[in-house]
Amino acid sequence: MSELKASAQRTGVYVFLALLALTVVESIIGALESPVTVLLIIIALVKAALIIYFFMHVYRLWREESH
Amino acid sequence: MSSVAAEAHHDDHLDDHAHSHELSWPQQLRANRLGLWLFCISEVFLFLALLAARFYLWGGERPELSQGLGFITTTVLLVSSFFVFRGETAMEHGDRKKFLNSFVLAAIMGFIFFVGVVVLEWNIFGLELNLFGIEWFGHLKPSDGVFGGVFFAMTGMHALHVLSGLFLIYVVWNKGRRGEFSPEKHWGVEACAIYWHYVDVVWVFFYPALYLIGRT
Repeated sequence: MSELKASAQRTGVYVFLALLALTVVESIIGALESPVTVLLIIIALVKAALIIYFFMHVYRLWREESH
Repeated sequence: MSSVAAEAHHDDHLDDHAHSHELSWPQQLRANRLGLWLFCISEVFLFLALLAARFYLWGGERPELSQGLGFITTTVLLVSSFFVFRGETAMEHGDRKKFLNSFVLAAIMGFIFFVGVVVLEWNIFGLELNLFGIEWFGHLKPSDGVFGGVFFAMTGMHALHVLSGLFLIYVVWNKGRRGEFSPEKHWGVEACAIYWHYVDVVWVFFYPALYLIGRT
């Protein structure tokens, strides 16, 4: 049980760090003379996908599971 | 059959009928999740309309906003989302204390984000401060043409959702404090977490659209 909990918490930390790193990258791109819009949109999509999958657990919609 | 017996038989029949429509907990949970996700999807249209207005009216330009303040508020909201995840995971594994602590921290971070947008970025007190190379108070006003109108509409609508999310976090935290959730049944915690992360996802798109995309 505690191993499962630790593993879930670890995943959360990794996802958070990835989100933070992507935010830093997009702020650097945004500071450029002419920011690459497509790149910024791709980064936003990746960030949204990480949150929707790992934090919002969208896959639970298709699973016959209880808590 | 007497009228009393007939009535009792009728009531039994109604009870059977009602029970046949009752959902098991896993079924109920699945229906709850689907309902909440459909609500989130319906809200996507509202935020997409605001994004469409931003790209149509601003095009390849954007107003001069404090980059440092935008980055800090975005980071604070991400930290808040992490604490909500931490709290939900703790509740799933029966760690009520960690759940309560995490939700308090998430609410504090959410409140800081709210203050960052409404007090600092909107600059409701008309102040000026430049510290550590960051402009801590915005200068855009709602009356500043399309820049002001779109900026305040987008951040205002998002701030309203942050405010309702903070209220939800408080309600769920209070219920958790009273021991109303268990590792087996904690839909309230899960629903609150999904909503809060959804508010974060919206900002994931609003941040580049307002602060990064386009030239000043």
